[in-house]
Amino acid sequence: MAYTPIALVSSSRQVTLVAKLILIGIPAFLVISVAAVLIYAQVVTRSGPTQPIAFSHIPHVQADKAGADCTFCHRNVAKGAAATVPSVEQCMFCHKVVGEQSKVPTAAIKDVQNAWVNKQVIDWVRVHRMPDHVRFLHQPHILAGFDCATCHGDVGSKKQVAQERILNMGDCVGCHRANGAPTECTICHK
Amino acid sequence: MAEATRWGMVVDLDRCTGCQACVAACYAENNLPLNTEEMVVEDRAHNWIRIERYWEGEYPDIKARFLPVLCQHCANAPCEPVCPVYATYHNSEGLNVQVYNRCVGTRYCINNCPYHARFFNWWETPLPDPMPHYLNPDVTVRSKGITEKCTFCVQRIRRATRNAANEGGRQVADNEIQPACAQACPTNTIIFGNLANPNSTVSKLAKNERHYRLLEELGTEPGVIYLKKVDPHAKSTPERH
Repeated sequence: MAYTPIALVSSSRQVTLVAKLILIGIPAFLVISVAAVLIYAQVVTRSGPTQPIAFSHIPHVQADKAGADCTFCHRNVAKGAAATVPSVEQCMFCHKVVGEQSKVPTAAIKDVQNAWVNKQVIDWVRVHRMPDHVRFLHQPHILAGFDCATCHGDVGSKKQVAQERILNMGDCVGCHRANGAPTECTICHK
Repeated sequence: MAEATRWGMVVDLDRCTGCQACVAACYAENNLPLNTEEMVVEDRAHNWIRIERYWEGEYPDIKARFLPVLCQHCANAPCEPVCPVYATYHNSEGLNVQVYNRCVGTRYCINNCPYHARFFNWWETPLPDPMPHYLNPDVTVRSKGITEKCTFCVQRIRRATRNAANEGGRQVADNEIQPACAQACPTNTIIFGNLANPNSTVSKLAKNERHYRLLEELGTEPGVIYLKKVDPHAKSTPERH
């Protein structure tokens, strides 16, 4: 029995297989890469996650409304790593009154008041999250005199908070260089 | 930092009782994975600081000697030039820094370290619930495939320098920074400070006549200075003057 190498027998099959791979592979690669670019770009342009309570910054921050400073609610921003989201109790400092007697009590105010009455924690969806190998601290940035809007954009005129800047390492290092801030690795990576 | 800085450590072996409090403190501070017996047997256990125990003499005239060994933060570190991706480098404060997000896991640095002070993450940190709640938020939890080692508690150094800057830009005071091991030590064996400042506690202790450095003959210029054990009961032998 003569020995026939398999490659010789199936050479024509191999050609069709390669042709199929090219015909399917190239369009598939293009579709996936375009999708990847679109998903990546959305980091900057997306509308942000839907929160459990339809909280809007506009009535809180705008000068003709409550006109609150960012630090009025995000109290830890000049003291520590996290700016901190206020507790329900802190919301009730004002909303025990505001909303009860106001002309247009919104559903969102009712929601926060119900959470307080029912002793429920509001599970706000986190918008900004750094990777675990990055240690970002709000305090030194605020003490250096930066406005919150430098990174977070004009949150005060937004109904829903979204990530405004890409906040990757190039973004951080670019800003650090431009402002003469240290770029030593262990400043952020520990 | 305006002041010239070379972070260093003095380990007074005359004070060390081998209690391992420094080891436990280091595990808690730096989010080290919990070692299992298999990991130790395979020589894959993590211990940024370890107590080496030696027996000196023969029974019944035998003595236990303890030697805490950690990353020596060498001025001439053998681990640094072998890294192909610059993940381990020397910073301006004399720290031998490991940048986790640069590391690709070649383990050249581990092989080139004469002190066995570097450790590779062969697995994801096996932390059973509720252990993750104890993690220090200031320190990265290292993932599989990267090298890690003692940082001289750089997160504490940074916190102290930040506090000093916020308090009118003053200098960091001597003994203001304590790594976890130094803080936990019940006998003050471990002293941390700035070796570049001649008036600091470490600088003064480093000039003690008992001082020596581990494997000094290799020319690594370690930043950890050991003070030799004093033995008041040592019998002077003819061959040992």
